[in-house]
Amino acid sequence: MYRPLSIIASLAFALSACGGGGGGGSSPPDPPPSVPPITKAEAFRFLNQATFGATEAEADVVIEMGYAAWIEDQMTKPESLQLPHMRSLPPPEFPAQRQTDRVDIWIRNALHGEDQLRQRVAFALSEIFVVSQLGALADQPWGLADYYDTLARHAFGDYRALMEAVTLHPAMGVYLSMLGNEKPDTQRNIRPDENYARELMQLFSIGLVELNPDGSQVLDANNQPVPTYDQAVIEGFAHVFTGWSYAGFADLRAAFPTYSNQVMPMQLYPAYHDGGPKKILDDVEIPAGQSGEQDLRDALDNIFNHPNVGPFIAIRLIQRLTASNPSPAYAQRVAAVFDDNGFGVRGDLGAVVRAILLDAEARPDMSMEIDGKLKEPLLRLTQLWRAYEAHSDSGRYSFAISYIVLGQGPLQSPSVFNFFSPFYAPPGEIRNSSLVAPELQIATEYQNTFVTNWMFYQAFLFNWVVDRNLEPIQEDTILINFEEETAIAGDPIALVDSVSGKLLGGEISDTLRAEIVRMVELIPAEEALARAAEAIYLTVTSPEYAYQR
Amino acid sequence: MAKIDRRKFMQQSGLAAAMFAATPGAAFSQVVGSSGGFSDYKALVCMFLYGGNDSFNLLVPHSDAEYNVYAQARQGLAVPQSQLLPITPAAPDGIDYGLHPSAGGLRTLFEDGVAAFVSNVGPLIEPMTKEQFFNRSVRRPPQLFSHNDQQDQWQSLKGDAQSKTGWAGRMADLIRSGVADQQMATNVSLFGSNLFQSADETVAYVMGPAGPLLFEGIPADPEDPFYEQRLAFLRILNADYPSIYERGFADVQKRAIAAADKLSAAIASADPFTTVFPQGQLGQQLETVAKLIAVRGELKMQRQIFFVAAGGFDTHDKQNEDQPLLIGGVSDGLKAFYDAMFELGIAESVTTFTQSDFGRTLTSNGDGTDHAWGGNQVVIGDAVRGRHVYGSYPLLQIDGPEDVGGGRMIPSTSADQFAATLASWFGIAAADLDIVAPNIDNFAVRDLGFMI
Repeated sequence: MYRPLSIIASLAFALSACGGGGGGGSSPPDPPPSVPPITKAEAFRFLNQATFGATEAEADVVIEMGYAAWIEDQMTKPESLQLPHMRSLPPPEFPAQRQTDRVDIWIRNALHGEDQLRQRVAFALSEIFVVSQLGALADQPWGLADYYDTLARHAFGDYRALMEAVTLHPAMGVYLSMLGNEKPDTQRNIRPDENYARELMQLFSIGLVELNPDGSQVLDANNQPVPTYDQAVIEGFAHVFTGWSYAGFADLRAAFPTYSNQVMPMQLYPAYHDGGPKKILDDVEIPAGQSGEQDLRDALDNIFNHPNVGPFIAIRLIQRLTASNPSPAYAQRVAAVFDDNGFGVRGDLGAVVRAILLDAEARPDMSMEIDGKLKEPLLRLTQLWRAYEAHSDSGRYSFAISYIVLGQGPLQSPSVFNFFSPFYAPPGEIRNSSLVAPELQIATEYQNTFVTNWMFYQAFLFNWVVDRNLEPIQEDTILINFEEETAIAGDPIALVDSVSGKLLGGEISDTLRAEIVRMVELIPAEEALARAAEAIYLTVTSPEYAYQR
Repeated sequence: MAKIDRRKFMQQSGLAAAMFAATPGAAFSQVVGSSGGFSDYKALVCMFLYGGNDSFNLLVPHSDAEYNVYAQARQGLAVPQSQLLPITPAAPDGIDYGLHPSAGGLRTLFEDGVAAFVSNVGPLIEPMTKEQFFNRSVRRPPQLFSHNDQQDQWQSLKGDAQSKTGWAGRMADLIRSGVADQQMATNVSLFGSNLFQSADETVAYVMGPAGPLLFEGIPADPEDPFYEQRLAFLRILNADYPSIYERGFADVQKRAIAAADKLSAAIASADPFTTVFPQGQLGQQLETVAKLIAVRGELKMQRQIFFVAAGGFDTHDKQNEDQPLLIGGVSDGLKAFYDAMFELGIAESVTTFTQSDFGRTLTSNGDGTDHAWGGNQVVIGDAVRGRHVYGSYPLLQIDGPEDVGGGRMIPSTSADQFAATLASWFGIAAADLDIVAPNIDNFAVRDLGFMI
């Protein structure tokens, strides 16, 4: 089941050299014979796709190494994990208090983790395989930290192994109620819980309708989409997922969460597993009498081998990393790599990530109307924090209110449907062009105001309060450091160049540049902090900063 | 987070001294319709219960025979007969009904004649029998029993079409020439963006549960030292952007800035209510809607559709623990909102109704329920012909005539009929009803009769 992966540098170079194709029938574009040097702006674009925010220092690394080598280097970095940090803290009065620490270690890893690519992909996976602290898991911060670590460990691994790790993780067990799910009791009209069975297929693997290799919908003779499964199949999988709960008890019904078992895979309690035959996808039937473990392996294999998984996961990950509206050819090239990494291996997520980032469509020309995507609000903020070395007096990053301020936060989704839908199309030109912009679903008037205000606090207020010693600032308040900008604030042109260089890779529009200069000139030169803050504020609230090219 | 004293901040920063050279100017204008006018005021308030409310435990048969069938189906999830709050419909249909014990507020409204139930209602394209369900001889909404798809069905009534607009959005488009003077969008959401209010021509406005947030640092007051920053901010938003994502983002920001100060001021000017709203986000949303309705004249509003919502109804687990709070929250919120409308003397012009993804399975998965189809919805207001259970309440029998498996009830009334009845009251012309409810012509009854 755990097939060996060949995530080694030589393979990676081989893949990137052939465009990541293989087995899918598409023909990727040939690389140009001689590669022109990467510009700073290009390095910024790449890093905004592959990290929690481009910095000038990391851009220099990319320019030096090239994209492919940078990716390979990243894939060898040790994983930044959350659970060890969580375990280093003393027991809290209430477990839910540790959610703040969980978000803290998430921010530390996002800002300072050397494994930026892994962390970014883990974040993308956390928006596909969704669990959330909002709900029954509020009291399981250690379980959530370990769940995130599980995603990070599998970020460049085997999708089939990831599926299994997610399925058996008690955080997912609680979130989608597979944990404690029992075989039927017809006397009492009790049948297995269908929650995990349904969402595993709809949201984590194949989706609702049959897909072509390029991700477009298969249509029947009446021009209607073709469902991938029906209620009977959901019930079949629901019967598969019976008999599992927290590890370490004699009886399923006696199991309860502890500090230690919330980070251990769920255990099978055979007496509660349904032993009958189960109808699963593609008219396959799991025979009666198998063990619960065997049923689970067969069921996950059945989903894993469905042809939808490649295009489904390809498009989900492309949308999180590079583009809201990938062309069918782009989706198909990546899906083909999912199907076969070039060495006959299906589900190699590392190869999929390479294919997404190294595809020509991820490096478009400057002025393409529909290329790229809107940045997620959390990524807008982490980019600012990274560019300006965010810190706090205590060393902790206190931002557990992320989901309130930004409409999203690490493992803080309002439901298993994530913060936004992959299909969201705002009214107007985007919908009228049959395009989507998922991130715009949470960019409502209300939420945008909240985010904009936070940028105001971050750029102006917190540092102002500290600078003038107006009132004590909480030791956990996250402050950015723009001393370099205050030092040159007497020169508006130099100031805007510096801010643009750090936040936009130097790619600033004439309008934004002119408005910043004009506003900075209105502020007396001796107010260096206000001048620097003004330049940063207008930049991080601008449409061009919100856009990931 | 540090408490913000913006005055102090501005006075001490160089900004205060510098930012007075403000040139007032309309950097953007609010786009509204162009002609006509209603002579009266009406509002619809949609309360969406996300996750799928188990509404066969809200409105329950109380007569022994029907209760026993219900109890046999629901087993450990059945509300004990003795705990049901009996209701007395004005025109009994031969069955006695009771409400969930936490729905005391709703019971009062029902008994007072200002609330009605529409029973076993759900998305349909055409009427359907159990036989037709299994032999697939009539069209059905795709992806039955899936959360987002069935939310979309209730909100859009799109059937098997690919529509991306909602029925409230289409109503707003239809009346837009009649409400040209309105100072706020017809559609307002207090619970994020939604398909229900999505439209081709008009744009819904999304505020927070307590109203719009004000922007820090970009005030609307030309006297404010930060006003210059507002103008710079707007010039940046109004620039030409090459990407659809930049333009989409800038559009939202412009709408937000255009509305925030005016609407916040209007809400703040509303007199306080004697009615006390329940704690929590749903109560807060409803109180904000009530305040907006209170200041409707100031905002020149004639037709409004509000969207409020609550989550947590996906009771796969621990249903018996969670249901009293969920149903209690809905009932208390609806009661308080009605009382506030009564206080304003406008209860005849404001109609509140519930929608939810789907009803839930009558059978249990141990300690919860799974996704099903038909369910019961509530309609409230003085324009409602209340104290009545509309539609055909099904026999809650496993494998009974309406059950397609596990206690999933085929709706006997369609969401299109439900919507069309509300739309007619709202002022949508009979000829336009099929724009609001595209499948309405497939049903013999276009108006369920629950509105005066």
